[in-house]
Amino acid sequence: MRYEFEKYRAFGQLYRITHWIFAGSCVVLIFTGFYIYEPWFTTMLEIGYDDFTVANMRFLHFAAAYLFMGAVTARFYLWFFGNKQERITDALPVTKRNIKNFWGAILNYLYIKFHVPRLGHNALAGTTYLITFLLSMVMIFSGFYLLYPGSVQLQAWGGSIFGSQQNARFLHFILMFYFIFFAMVHIYIAVWNDVMFGEGLVSAIISGSKFLHIKRPKID
Amino acid sequence: MADHSESGIGDLRLTRRSFIKGCTMAAAALGLSESMIPRLVSAATSPQRPPVVWLHFQECTGCTESLLRASHPDIGRLILDLISLDYHETVMAAAGYQAEENLHNTIEKYDGKFLCVVEGAIPTKDGGVYCKIGGRTAMDILADVAPRSAAVIAIGTCASFGGIQAAAPNPTGAVGVQDLVQGKPIINIPGCPPNPISFLGTVLYYLSWKKLPVTDNLGRPLFAYGRKIHDHCERRAHFDEGRFVERFGDEGHRQGYCLYKMGCKGPATFSNCPAVRFNDVDQWPVSAGHGCCGCTEPSFWDSMTPFEERLPEVKIPLGQGTVSSAESVGKTVAAVTAGAIGVHAAAGVVRRLAKGTAKKDEIRKE
Repeated sequence: MRYEFEKYRAFGQLYRITHWIFAGSCVVLIFTGFYIYEPWFTTMLEIGYDDFTVANMRFLHFAAAYLFMGAVTARFYLWFFGNKQERITDALPVTKRNIKNFWGAILNYLYIKFHVPRLGHNALAGTTYLITFLLSMVMIFSGFYLLYPGSVQLQAWGGSIFGSQQNARFLHFILMFYFIFFAMVHIYIAVWNDVMFGEGLVSAIISGSKFLHIKRPKID
Repeated sequence: MADHSESGIGDLRLTRRSFIKGCTMAAAALGLSESMIPRLVSAATSPQRPPVVWLHFQECTGCTESLLRASHPDIGRLILDLISLDYHETVMAAAGYQAEENLHNTIEKYDGKFLCVVEGAIPTKDGGVYCKIGGRTAMDILADVAPRSAAVIAIGTCASFGGIQAAAPNPTGAVGVQDLVQGKPIINIPGCPPNPISFLGTVLYYLSWKKLPVTDNLGRPLFAYGRKIHDHCERRAHFDEGRFVERFGDEGHRQGYCLYKMGCKGPATFSNCPAVRFNDVDQWPVSAGHGCCGCTEPSFWDSMTPFEERLPEVKIPLGQGTVSSAESVGKTVAAVTAGAIGVHAAAGVVRRLAKGTAKKDEIRKE
């Protein structure tokens, strides 16, 4: 059987930049976050000279967090003002087309029935991104609550949402594992799609272009 | 300041010198300038100062004990002398019907004027039968006394937030004062025990200005609970420089390094402990070599335990409830995810081997 590809513009520059800021900042946030949770190498033992190790780790954590927040803001903007593939309505199971696509994606990932790759995200991915966005907001707000504990304003609403500082710290730590889980599944699914359908999904987030089948391939 | 030589052990009279010193310490804790000390002094000696009714409910009397048994007794004496204590179950001379009569007379005579201090949590389950004094439940006594007071001061974490009685599973349905009393100014002085200076400062502030000091969202006075322990800790430099106690008794412990890795809850706890300390001998848990337990925070028995771990244990709802550390839960999530990815990938490989559909004749068109 033979099938051909055509190259299409899928994602704009800002979209791709925010993606790589997410990727980079999450790596830094998780590494430094683990360090702040349990400083496993310390000045005296492993580094051997006096240095503000923990203070520096915290600085990296906060700096990466601000980058992350900037990218979240830009991505939120693109959900409403980006190109067709970037808009949230293109990938949420709120339209008839996307509800069908949502179940199609699940069957696809279960190897039961492969669906035609589309230019934008499938509806399952869109739903996951929405959940990730909401959890990012929880991380951002709990992070601010932890960063400025003396602020009376932050205490007022932070306390009513998260409870004590310790509760917020616990939530902030546990939710980190969602982001680890997300990164693992996200990378695997992207590579898997690339292997299965040859649409160039991995390079699409670098170049912005995807390859769509001219005719539907008969893989089954 | 211990004036044993002047007053003699066993002499419980408060000297003028100790009295002024106590007021000065309270002024310092409140962040007032020295010019305000005379105002505190005159308020504390005014004959019109309101009487105090001190109620004990579900508690260990540790708050009263820490106040009375301070190594330096003047603060305890100052509080007991300064406030006109009409009813206090631990220190009053009256007993039985006479004691109950005192309580009754005070709230009749000073209706709307007396200060109500509550020590201990109030059980609410099964009609509140788990704490009874003189045949009345704690709920009844509080509902009788608190609405007729001028203001309520909840001393200790139990009276503020329920304390250890309210720890999961909270068998007696214990709650703090603020959950039961509405429409009265309530101030919380949490701690297990709280610092007597914080209590004294609040009372003196009230006597001097006839209002309660500014509080945070949990009703704790900001002068005592406005700052995080971690930010004012004497071991903070060791934290920033990454010098930690790894085990109790190790070299770092002897050097006075940071107790963060030993589960210190200073980064999550608001209190003036590092500045005011206890018992006038510059002591508090961290200076003694153990991390902060977070005793001024709500539900600290649930959220701060185990005290030597960074984060609380996670209860997994399986049968009786498996207890695990947050870290191991996270590792499990990551391992299960990796396993699921492996299974998914393997299924694809097996499927391809079974069907033998290798892509051979693709033509790529750019």
